[in-house]
Amino acid sequence: MSNNRVTRRQFLTYTITGVGGFMAAGMLMPMVRFAVDPLLQTKTEGDFVLTGQKVSELTDAPVKVDFSFERTDAWYVSETTDSAWVYKDGDAIIALSPVCKHLGCTVNWEGDPDHPNQFFCACHAGRYEKTGVNVPGTPPTAALDQYEVAEKDGFLMLGKKSANSFA
Amino acid sequence: MFFNVPDIQQFQANKEFIDTAVVPLLSLQFSDDKSKKSGSDAEYLMSLTAFIEQQFKGRLLMTPPFSYVDSLKPHLDLSLIEKELKDAGFKHVVFITCDADWVKKEEFHVIWLPAIPLTSMDIPVKQKIMEDQLKQVIPTLTNIWTKL
Repeated sequence: MSNNRVTRRQFLTYTITGVGGFMAAGMLMPMVRFAVDPLLQTKTEGDFVLTGQKVSELTDAPVKVDFSFERTDAWYVSETTDSAWVYKDGDAIIALSPVCKHLGCTVNWEGDPDHPNQFFCACHAGRYEKTGVNVPGTPPTAALDQYEVAEKDGFLMLGKKSANSFA
Repeated sequence: MFFNVPDIQQFQANKEFIDTAVVPLLSLQFSDDKSKKSGSDAEYLMSLTAFIEQQFKGRLLMTPPFSYVDSLKPHLDLSLIEKELKDAGFKHVVFITCDADWVKKEEFHVIWLPAIPLTSMDIPVKQKIMEDQLKQVIPTLTNIWTKL
């Protein structure tokens, strides 16, 4: 009986190793979890915003699609409304930002009767082709930005803005 | 452009394009019977001016509103405001308000719009109303701009 008995010294060593192991694991686990977290993130519709526009109702004529999202600016939370000009080019959906590349006004489709089939900026008579490419000789120096598009239950979703793909 | 640092920097770099200052005139009334209406008017004017700024960002500077109580109104001299802004390089100074008293000042460009109560309105309805209101403002602005 006596030889197999755990001595006081052994008992303490086992206990401290065990408890220490749990403590180390308790500290390491969250660190590992944080480190691999970006890999575990599922990329669902991330930054896409759902609009009230039905994809089936889009035609080759650009329509203005409004969408709202919440924006926090320090303590000031506001519901921000943005819009996009959306049309169908064959089967592809093109969504253009209405923000003029000159000084940031809002452009309108066929806003100037003299220039049909173009986007028009009323501030300084800037013009863009239907693809969003700026018309040379007018103030804008770049093409209108383009939104990523997606579809959910038949409704249009808009994502990040990026440089125009037609430019 | 709004009256904040990034916009002002852009304005100073593009003074030849941004030639119009829009000044909201906001009446504040605090008595029990008037404060609710006054608050609703303020909300409307602020929404509308923000929308106008979004549409014409590259052509105009939207100043913060000049707010006043009734007793202060006779002392608010629009010509002084107009002078300061013209000295700063603006060709046109436009006042926008829901307070009908300013319409009498015919020597200034005053846009007066009756306030619409926006409270408890759904966002799409609000947007629709704002777009309609904007359509009333656009001719006044384009008139000023083409009358050079």
